[in-house]
Amino acid sequence: MIKRETIQTNKEDLEKELEELRHQLEEARETIEAIRTGQIDALVVQGTNGHQLYTLKNADQTYRFFIENMAEGAVTINTQGIVLYSNSRFAKMANRPLSKVIGFPFEEFISTDSLLFYKQLFEKSWQSECKGEVNLIDGGRPIPVQLSLSTIEIEKEISLSIILTDLTAQKNTQKQLRTNNEKLEEINLALELSNHDLHQFASIASHDLQEPLRKIHIFSSLMKDKENELAPELRKYLDKIVDSSGRMKNLIVDILNYSRLSANITRIESIDLNELVNEIHEDFELIIAEKKATMNVNELPVINAKRGQIRQVFQNIISNALKFSKPGEKPLIKISSKKISHKSFDAEENSTGLYCLIRIKDNGIGFDEKYVSNIFDLFERLHSKDKYEGTGIGLAIAKKIIEKHHGLITASSKAGNGAEFKIILPISQSQPEG
Amino acid sequence: MGPKKILLAEDDLDDQELFFDFLIKRQDIDLLPIVDNGVALVDYLTGIHDVHAFPDLIILDQNMPLKNGIQTLQFLKTNARYTHIPVIIYSTYTDERLIHTCSALGASGVFAKPFTKEGYDNMINDFLKIIA
Repeated sequence: MIKRETIQTNKEDLEKELEELRHQLEEARETIEAIRTGQIDALVVQGTNGHQLYTLKNADQTYRFFIENMAEGAVTINTQGIVLYSNSRFAKMANRPLSKVIGFPFEEFISTDSLLFYKQLFEKSWQSECKGEVNLIDGGRPIPVQLSLSTIEIEKEISLSIILTDLTAQKNTQKQLRTNNEKLEEINLALELSNHDLHQFASIASHDLQEPLRKIHIFSSLMKDKENELAPELRKYLDKIVDSSGRMKNLIVDILNYSRLSANITRIESIDLNELVNEIHEDFELIIAEKKATMNVNELPVINAKRGQIRQVFQNIISNALKFSKPGEKPLIKISSKKISHKSFDAEENSTGLYCLIRIKDNGIGFDEKYVSNIFDLFERLHSKDKYEGTGIGLAIAKKIIEKHHGLITASSKAGNGAEFKIILPISQSQPEG
Repeated sequence: MGPKKILLAEDDLDDQELFFDFLIKRQDIDLLPIVDNGVALVDYLTGIHDVHAFPDLIILDQNMPLKNGIQTLQFLKTNARYTHIPVIIYSTYTDERLIHTCSALGASGVFAKPFTKEGYDNMINDFLKIIA
């Protein structure tokens, strides 16, 4: 009986074992099938030294290559927070040999100031994927990194995969950006202040300076009306006062006109430049007759611009041409124009071009070309005011007006050989710049 | 038609004197006592009970303390008792904005303060044309 029972038991045991082996075989078959069809890349098998990772050779090589060569640190840790796997990039970040990374608690690499936050992340990450920024210690200064934590389940064993992105460069860029923005803000503020000062100055110049000046002017001109009662020497002084106050008045008016140009141009209208130049010719009729000057004007275009301002440009340049004429020579002013394809002084002529190039050439005393960059500056005078009157603002105004109209202006000359001004203006202000 | 009554509000003593010197010589103008600012001008007008004693023209300096030219103009043009009186703003410095604002408020003219004797004569003649 006993023997029989033993046999019986053995049979049952064997059948049980067989059943289990069959089951294992079935599992193995399924696994092989899964590996063969690419459903599984790696396996974790309980071995004598704990869990062991088996991977399909090809996939393993590919992934290893990716992971070892990527710019991010990659670490796998178990539920106790011990590093099971690390790529060499992470070891580099931690400034330790790989052998001193694997098997060590991941917490060791987190700086104390981010440890609490890391622990929260670690807790949370077992429930759901999460991200957060912490500092790593590399022995020296902390490295800011972003951690992306997500769980991976291999054969019912859950571990945590952590991808570490080095934020040092990004933080530096952000810092640089912040510094630059701060600098920009400072410059902006300074610019606003100086703009404000300029407007204050314009306002003071317009009222407070002009008021006493007007009185000097009018009271001295009232005295001049009775100059017969004055000694000849006093008459001479009075003339100088009247002249000086007149010049100062012109200066103030010019400064005001210049500062008012800062506002954006409004009221654009269609201007026939032929008409405009004719008007200026009439304005200068007296001095043209006096100097026996000739104005030689070719066909000019119709453009879209602020009339008053463009008129001022032509007026200032023509006035200069008449003013700086050679003594004993009849002034000759030539004005011509052509349409050009783009906004450049060496652009080719193009009858359907969107820009026009206008040339105003005289035969006056000209200027030394080394001063060409100066002549459009405020208050720049190349000729003494005793011989040639003026405030030195005319060309600065002309340049500002042309620039406000999205155009260009330049001048060329040789001393004693006349001057030539070239102006480029868009035919229409609505055209995009090009 | 008798001489035109002109009332000036001007705080600057030199300008009061200049205005007085130029206008007092003219037979066609009856210069009313010059007031120092807009408030004084309103007080002066309030004190007039006979409609015939109203000025034919009011000249306002723009930059005055208490009530400047524009503020006084606004008061005059929104007060039925005075809307019929032509008002002129004159200022050391005039620009498009001042001209625009004053015209919109009903000013009959905006003048820049003259720099010469001739300038004064021309300005006064223009005043008379406005109220002719």
